[in-house]
Amino acid sequence: MKRGSLLSGKIWPLHVLFAAGVVVIWQLLVLHAGNEVLFPNLDSVGAALWDLTSSGKLHSAMLESLRLLFTGFTFAFVGAFFLGVIMGSSKAIGMALLPLMSFIYCVPLIALLPLLLMWFGFGFTGRMVVVAYSSFFPVLLNVYAGVRETPSDLVEVAQSIGLTGRLAQFRHVVLPSSVPFVMAGFRLGIGRAVVGMAIAEVFLRLGGIGALIVENGARFRTAYVIAAIVPLPLLGIALTKAAARFEQRVQYWRYTAVSE
Amino acid sequence: MTSSRLAPSGKSKGPKSSGSKPIGRRFSFRRLLQPEFYLPVVVTGVFLGAWEWLGTITDPILFAPPSRIAEAAVVLIRDGVPAFGSKRLVTLQSLTWTTLNGLLVGFAISIITGLLIGVLLGRHKTLARVAEPYVDAIYATPRVVLTPLIVLWFGLGYNARLFLVWLGATIPIIINTAIGIRNARPDLEEVGHSVGMSERQLLRHVIMPGAVPYVLAGLRVAAGRAMIGIVIGEMFLNLVGLGGFIRFEGARLRTANAFVAVMVLGIMGSVLISSLGLLESKFASWKKEERSRET
Repeated sequence: MKRGSLLSGKIWPLHVLFAAGVVVIWQLLVLHAGNEVLFPNLDSVGAALWDLTSSGKLHSAMLESLRLLFTGFTFAFVGAFFLGVIMGSSKAIGMALLPLMSFIYCVPLIALLPLLLMWFGFGFTGRMVVVAYSSFFPVLLNVYAGVRETPSDLVEVAQSIGLTGRLAQFRHVVLPSSVPFVMAGFRLGIGRAVVGMAIAEVFLRLGGIGALIVENGARFRTAYVIAAIVPLPLLGIALTKAAARFEQRVQYWRYTAVSE
Repeated sequence: MTSSRLAPSGKSKGPKSSGSKPIGRRFSFRRLLQPEFYLPVVVTGVFLGAWEWLGTITDPILFAPPSRIAEAAVVLIRDGVPAFGSKRLVTLQSLTWTTLNGLLVGFAISIITGLLIGVLLGRHKTLARVAEPYVDAIYATPRVVLTPLIVLWFGLGYNARLFLVWLGATIPIIINTAIGIRNARPDLEEVGHSVGMSERQLLRHVIMPGAVPYVLAGLRVAAGRAMIGIVIGEMFLNLVGLGGFIRFEGARLRTANAFVAVMVLGIMGSVLISSLGLLESKFASWKKEERSRET
């Protein structure tokens, strides 16, 4: 552990070294395969990336994907938030719905795709449903937990100072105390929404980044496939990191784990 | 409550009587009368009823009510149906077996490699920091978009499916193992050092046991991702197993058959995940801090 902290000041040479190692291994694979389709040379991947960006293809595909992502996620978040609040506020409703919701959460989205396709079509609605479905449950279960776990002493204090209305209590006590859970749900949900977006664009009707990947894959232009895949994890990481940053921002006032 | 993380047992809150060992809840007739038992049953009943009713008023092609799904399940189990474009009859059992085979073998490989890499990253902090962006990037890549590459590298068959399962399931195991190893209690480690344990003994007797709850939490996340991996593999590569069956039957508008397979997958996932959850709560008394909240 001590060695780690000693080196932590200047870790970037190690990053460079590690990245170089990855590049060398890749290039060895390229040499070994000797086939641009199987393992394209890194400079052809770079060239492909440049071609995709300079021609504006990546840009427009990304915009299309992001539009899908945010519409679907907004619907999922709003819906899951309200359902989660209802389930968390009423013990009976919570107990009644939780097993059902947990079961649906266990069914992989991908297995339901053919059915979703039949019901909602492969247009924007269908794709949006896929994105919304994939991010709905993490938000729901977290909001539910957050509302459920409101510290009862806080509610009691609120009651004793005259805050008796259900709605007022919700606004001033329950909602603020469940913020960390809601944010955790937001973070998990947006990560899964990216996956849902990719699934929707590959499986329903080709569109956005998904289309870019599949079309190039079908023509065995592997360098272009890799170049089009790269933005996706970056998008996922960026969104998750941004959510985590926001999460810390919102709950700076929390001292210790109140939720325990 | 806030002091519970300092308590040596770290027992979770709940209706358990204090001090007694957490034994499995026994069945008793009185439990049937409690709302937490009968409410889900009632809701499931209402849900199925509404579904059945919806099935009678909508197009039978689009929507299969529970009664037709049950009929389809009986036929599938007893006789099987011709599927995947050949005349040969396929039963539900053989489909399930194909899926389970890929799932469990891939998951087993994931556990082995995930633990090894996780221990390595947990022990070497610098290595972990350098490798972390790559692990994150792989974790954040939706596996569907990798299928064109996987076809090139592994073909359309069993190996490609195993790879998809492995790719999904290994990373949560790596991450959680590394966290568990890193959160080893420093006092215990010191005691180990002071009684002259070698690094290997320390790992085997002090650090690994402490990481078990974390590893189990990782396994639960991994199980869900392994399920997704096998279904992607069966749907987007060669059509086989339950996943392939869902896609094939779905495309031919035989909704009831597709639904049967979806149900089996749901049950498979629930059983796998909740059995890992049970194992986890068995070990929960060891755990000194909350595990990662990733679900």
